[in-house]
Amino acid sequence: MNLEWLDAFLISGLFSVVVIIGLALLLHLQLGLTRIANFGVVGFFGIGMYSFGVMFTKVDWPFGDLPAFLISLAFGTLVAGLSGLLVGWLIADLDEDGVLVGTLGFATVVFILATTEQDLTGGALGLGGLKFPYDVGTVKADEFLWLIIVSIVVSLIFLYVWWVHRTPYGRLLIATGGNEPLARSLGKATFRTKLWLFAVGSAGMGLIGALFGVMERFLAPENLGIDVTLAAMVALVIGGTARAWGAVIGGFLIFGFFDIIVQSYIPFPKEWYGQAIPNAKLIVEGLVLMGVLLFRPLGILGAMQRDKLMRRVHG
Amino acid sequence: MDLDFFSKSIVIGLTEHAPLILAAIGFALLYRLTGLINVAYSETITLGAYFGMWFNTTYDLNFYTVLLPAGIVAGLISVGTYFAVFRPAKKLNVGALEMIIISFGLSIVLRHALQFVFGYPVRFFEVPPPVSIRVLGVGVGAFRILAVASVAAVSLALYYFIQRTSFGLQIRALASDEDLAQASGIRPLFVTVLIWFIAGVAGGMAGAFYGVSSSVAPLLGWRQFLFIFLVVVVGGRKGLGGVIITGALTGIALAAMTLQFGQVLYAQLALIIAFVVLLKWRSKRSIETVKV
Amino acid sequence: MVSETQQATVTRPQIRVQNAVKSFSGRVVVDIDDLMLGDQPIEGLIGPNGAGKTTLMRMIMHSTPLDSGTITLFNANGGGDVVISNLPTHWMAPHGLVKSNQVIMDFDNLTILDSMLLAVSTARYEKPYRIFDEPRLYADSVERMNEYMEYFDLGDPMRIAGSAGEKKLLDIIRCLLLEPKFLMLDEPTAGLPEEVTEKVVGLIRKLADEGTSVVIVEHDLNVIWNLCDEVHFMAEGSVVLHGSPEEIRQNSTVVEKYLGEGHV
Repeated sequence: MNLEWLDAFLISGLFSVVVIIGLALLLHLQLGLTRIANFGVVGFFGIGMYSFGVMFTKVDWPFGDLPAFLISLAFGTLVAGLSGLLVGWLIADLDEDGVLVGTLGFATVVFILATTEQDLTGGALGLGGLKFPYDVGTVKADEFLWLIIVSIVVSLIFLYVWWVHRTPYGRLLIATGGNEPLARSLGKATFRTKLWLFAVGSAGMGLIGALFGVMERFLAPENLGIDVTLAAMVALVIGGTARAWGAVIGGFLIFGFFDIIVQSYIPFPKEWYGQAIPNAKLIVEGLVLMGVLLFRPLGILGAMQRDKLMRRVHG
Repeated sequence: MDLDFFSKSIVIGLTEHAPLILAAIGFALLYRLTGLINVAYSETITLGAYFGMWFNTTYDLNFYTVLLPAGIVAGLISVGTYFAVFRPAKKLNVGALEMIIISFGLSIVLRHALQFVFGYPVRFFEVPPPVSIRVLGVGVGAFRILAVASVAAVSLALYYFIQRTSFGLQIRALASDEDLAQASGIRPLFVTVLIWFIAGVAGGMAGAFYGVSSSVAPLLGWRQFLFIFLVVVVGGRKGLGGVIITGALTGIALAAMTLQFGQVLYAQLALIIAFVVLLKWRSKRSIETVKV
Repeated sequence: MVSETQQATVTRPQIRVQNAVKSFSGRVVVDIDDLMLGDQPIEGLIGPNGAGKTTLMRMIMHSTPLDSGTITLFNANGGGDVVISNLPTHWMAPHGLVKSNQVIMDFDNLTILDSMLLAVSTARYEKPYRIFDEPRLYADSVERMNEYMEYFDLGDPMRIAGSAGEKKLLDIIRCLLLEPKFLMLDEPTAGLPEEVTEKVVGLIRKLADEGTSVVIVEHDLNVIWNLCDEVHFMAEGSVVLHGSPEEIRQNSTVVEKYLGEGHV
């Protein structure tokens, strides 16, 4: 494959945009529809990433790379889903304070475990030995193929999230977020609904974490900072929390700008790329989050517009 | 487990984690009286540390001299965030959940903006090693004794202020019903600003103590935020007294577990789990009455 | 309106409230020794403001937990008796017990059609992996929904309910779509125009004829006198009188405490 036309920065830039969109889409189900502010996105992302990494590199697999890779991937997803179930159980009947404590606490727990369990995770030094489950020649070609694979996975997540709006399940999520006591009086088991929402959403975040880890090749606790949660939240909020497309538009808009345009196409002085630009990027993310929620709480796409949707579906 | 272990845990817990109690008092003040979960409070703490360090290293002042100015600057910044962000947000009728996310955004902005001002590398206070004093057979640095004294001073001042003065009455009135308070001739703006200022001073001083005992870095306040928040959510129902007691117990538990496990992270881990389970258990027992 | 067959000999569901106490910050709001609801098809619950009527209904739904006491639902959906004071709120509807709301309650983002589909949908359809069920759910329930839409002349269902009256009506429709065996209505006609009130009253009658037990809290006493077969008079947290509408109407205590001299 001749990939000379393709810039290596463009691959990594697009990859981070795709990963953030994936997380923002899952966050949309929790925050946008069900009104649960999950501040622990990075925790589920991280536990999926590390469970996958540890399983893949520390187990002496008797068969080839690809089956071992897939089993580890499934394992990472499962562990993230189970931890989502646990966290969901802890917070589903708590108010906003409790949700913040529980989800933030979970992310911190994952960070602590990644640091302390050195035999498994390599601690602060990190965990190496991850690799793509194939080899198509050059590193660039491998990475490009991985970008395509992850894009397909995130596209499937998008299709699911987009479709959920058109299902009785999606309606239940919106009802639970809109008026939980009323939903309960109509016979809806809102606690269990939130529980499963957390399990499914977290499994998805864990899967994305594992896929991200493969591209990184090297897992370290620095990957588990609050900026991952922030990125997903900013992408969703700027695009529109109430809409599935919000995550996609927001992700391309803000991270497309920073990770692709600023990174590759604007000739800033070289020394800025080390710390000044990443730092400025976070400031802008924070400002965008505040500005949008203050002056246009529903983001670019605005309200949920169930009327139009229902007309399309049942009209 | 012998007596030595207990006395060690108590002394280390109370002295090393006194800044936690101080910060929790400030956070609780905002949380209880304005109903706000201010994630950006962690940056009030961080900025207290940075300004303390800056006064200390720029003007060659000792730690005792810079402590209060650092707190005051943090208090002013705290009031500034109220006017710049939280007051407009309240006027725009932003929901509770959105308010938390806004404060999270502000926290990120401050945390990274300060790196443009103070630089990226980790900074340090320039102070001679403090005199060590033996308490119950455990050596404790003078700064830590001062931290405990500050907790006592701030709590007493707040107690006096809230219970005994007319401002305290106004604060309590404002917390229970803002409209009624306003109708009774209370100046809500002045009282609210006062609350933000005091909370900021407590946070800034806590930050200076954290900074002088290790280093000054952008994540200084954020690393403590979860524990401050846990202490306030769990202990805050019983007023400031509950916060102080919960904070003290948390400090002692952290110290004891750190001695036991030899790893401060394991102690934090156990504490997070214990607190979240406690919240869950408490919510099971008090089902909220809802209007259906 | 759902089925045209009159089932005269059904066993009606009943609710028994025993030793039920609820107090808010030390003040006893409800204190009932023994109360049977559902002896008659339609029963009214009246009393002065603060008598505890709404709180009692919320206690039955368990959206307000009891301090002590037992509440039992006899002849629940599927037969049998169920102690409902131990059950969470979302179990009431499956047992056939449904309550409409006094205050206006709606879902912020859901259209009228959504609200109705939400009511008719069951847990079976609402799983994260059941993603192709919407057409079937719609097809199964469109007739029932249309009947209500036409009966109340609601117009386009694919919009969010606008006025307070419309929301109130939607709340009642949601309850009816749940096919209640025991229906509690908390001020169902408050805020509704007169012709809609009449339609609601007509529907309640029909439902009662078909075997549903109905309990109504209502301040519009004309509705009570016209509709109810039995009336419970509540004051200061307990039910102090039962009787036919005529008996209650002429009772001196009721007149003195509640109706006032000019009302009889």
